[in-house]
Amino acid sequence: MSVIEVENLTKVFKIPQKDPGLGGAIKGLFAPRFQSKTAVDRINFRLDRGEIVGYIGVNGAGKSTTIKMLTGVLMPTGGSIRVLGRDPHRQRIDNAREIGVVFGQRTQLWWDLALIESLNLIARMYDVPPARYKQMLDEFSQTLDLGSLLKVPVRNMSLGQKMRSELAAALIHEPKVVYLDEPTIGLDLIVKERIRDFIKAECGSKGMTVMLTTHDLGDIEQLCRRVIIIDEGRVIYDGPIETIKKKFGKFREITFETTGLVPSLSLPPGCELLSTGDRKVTLRFDRIQTTASQVASAVMKQIEVRDFSLSEPDLANIVKQIYNGALDNGGVEPEAADARPAP
Amino acid sequence: MTRYLSLYWLFLTQRLKVLMEYRANFIIGALSTIALQASSILAIWVVMRQVPDLNGWTYDEILLVYGLITLAKSINHMFADNLWTLGRQYIRSGGFDRFLVRPIDPLFHLLADRFCQDGVGNFLVGVALVVKASVALGIQWTLLKALMLVAAVVSGGGIFIALNLLTCVTSFWIVDSVPVTRLVFDNHLFAQYPLTIYPKAINILLTWIVPYGLASFYPASYLLDRSLGNLAWAAPVAAALLLFLGYRFWQFGLKHYGSTGT
Ligand SMILES: Nc1ncnc2c1ncn2[C@@H]1O[C@H](COP(=O)(O)OP(=O)(O)OP(=O)(O)O)[C@@H](O)[C@H]1O
Ligand SMILES: [Mg+2]
Repeated sequence: MSVIEVENLTKVFKIPQKDPGLGGAIKGLFAPRFQSKTAVDRINFRLDRGEIVGYIGVNGAGKSTTIKMLTGVLMPTGGSIRVLGRDPHRQRIDNAREIGVVFGQRTQLWWDLALIESLNLIARMYDVPPARYKQMLDEFSQTLDLGSLLKVPVRNMSLGQKMRSELAAALIHEPKVVYLDEPTIGLDLIVKERIRDFIKAECGSKGMTVMLTTHDLGDIEQLCRRVIIIDEGRVIYDGPIETIKKKFGKFREITFETTGLVPSLSLPPGCELLSTGDRKVTLRFDRIQTTASQVASAVMKQIEVRDFSLSEPDLANIVKQIYNGALDNGGVEPEAADARPAP
Repeated sequence: MTRYLSLYWLFLTQRLKVLMEYRANFIIGALSTIALQASSILAIWVVMRQVPDLNGWTYDEILLVYGLITLAKSINHMFADNLWTLGRQYIRSGGFDRFLVRPIDPLFHLLADRFCQDGVGNFLVGVALVVKASVALGIQWTLLKALMLVAAVVSGGGIFIALNLLTCVTSFWIVDSVPVTRLVFDNHLFAQYPLTIYPKAINILLTWIVPYGLASFYPASYLLDRSLGNLAWAAPVAAALLLFLGYRFWQFGLKHYGSTGT
């Protein structure tokens, strides 16, 4: 049996439409009109014990909504969820005992309590035996370097310190299932590294099942063997990270700012146009077929370049390319790929 | 139950530690509570110096009524003040979600999240007023009267909490529930005085609809062996009923939250 089983999971939000003015407000009170927004659209997946899965997608793709349904906070509009055999919304409190959650955008701790006091409260809520609690504190003091933070109120912590504290709070009861919604948001590279190492060691060694959302592909690369990519509420890829890396890891993007309008360019093989804007053009090239200097010199011969920059493909682009058929013979669920015409 | 009690105790002691850190805030809070109460009592005293009695109620008898409502209100103030901020501080900010991922009742979590120390000052003022009135009036305490006193304070607290719960739950639907809560809550000001001084409509309102009168005027009448005093035994029933309704409405609001998430 899988730890998490999700079938045809759907969430439709009904957003009340307000007409302007007092008249509109009163009308809204008696004859409310709603606009539907399908945030999660018939998704399916299973997670086994010990899996660490990256759940990624662009802003508004439906990641947080999915996590909220999995944790029992939101009730699905359709479909079903089983977490360790339970319905997380109907059996919310029983489910809560088994899970640990980090909502990276907001704190779970009491901002004016010292960290140790927050942890005391949380440990008691989850009925962690005192001896075990002490062991866990010792462990986290090392792995998260919490020792010097225990006496500090959360309101006086830096972002990185806060996030380490959040992780401790979410994992102090050693949950079987862990949901991390953007646990590295806003952190610098060093703290990110430390948090990745911690998640890997802590969750890996205890066989926890982890679902991780992030906008940082580095998190995914270091932690997950499997990724699920969603877009507009639908799963567009579910498979090994390797496939994504192989397909997109060899590409680089190069953006030129030009002095004049961009004419149509002739490009070297292995290089293609991604977008043109007013005095701006973005190309993508295959590092195996060509090089940055070849691309740059080809372009500079044709137009006057003011500046240029090089980057790795970002998630939005990967999503776009998946729609364009980049993964046609692997990984994509056919029904999901068919459901929307390529843009 | 014992689990929740011991959890509450832990919440409370952690909160007290924070209070000790902000000792100045605590002292200013307590002083302002007492100053506020003193000015209300002074107002009663000024009025009562002009007229010997208000509809047959003397100064000390009015103090008893006032003291009883103060006690009931202080229970709400100490243990359920956080209800006021449900919308502003928890639902709008998304902080409410954290209650829902924890293995305890979210209403308990909301209430336990903040013990309001300012209520302690009010409680002490209430005790002082009831003692003062009792001595001045020479109330003959019997077991039933003592029982009535406890019942009035506890159920009075329950009535305050239930009515606040019923109105604060609206923040699951509307942006700011505070005006709604105020609208109901402020009726308790009538119950600071004997209801006999008001027109009939207000008597009905304060007895049967928002029954703050059951926390002050009726138990005071009972303790003073006045007519209508026996109605005070309805206070526990009213409190239980309103708390039940409040909790059901809370659950309904929670269900709504589960489908909208805001
Ligand atoms: N409570 C809500 N009521 C109405 N619409 C909502 C609600 N929560 C989310 N949405 C909408 O549902 C869609 C998915 O939102 P969600 O927060 O799940 O995205 P996300 O993938 O987590 O994005 P991000 O990367 O920005 O965190 C968005 O269009 C959002 O506006
Ligand atoms: Mg999100």
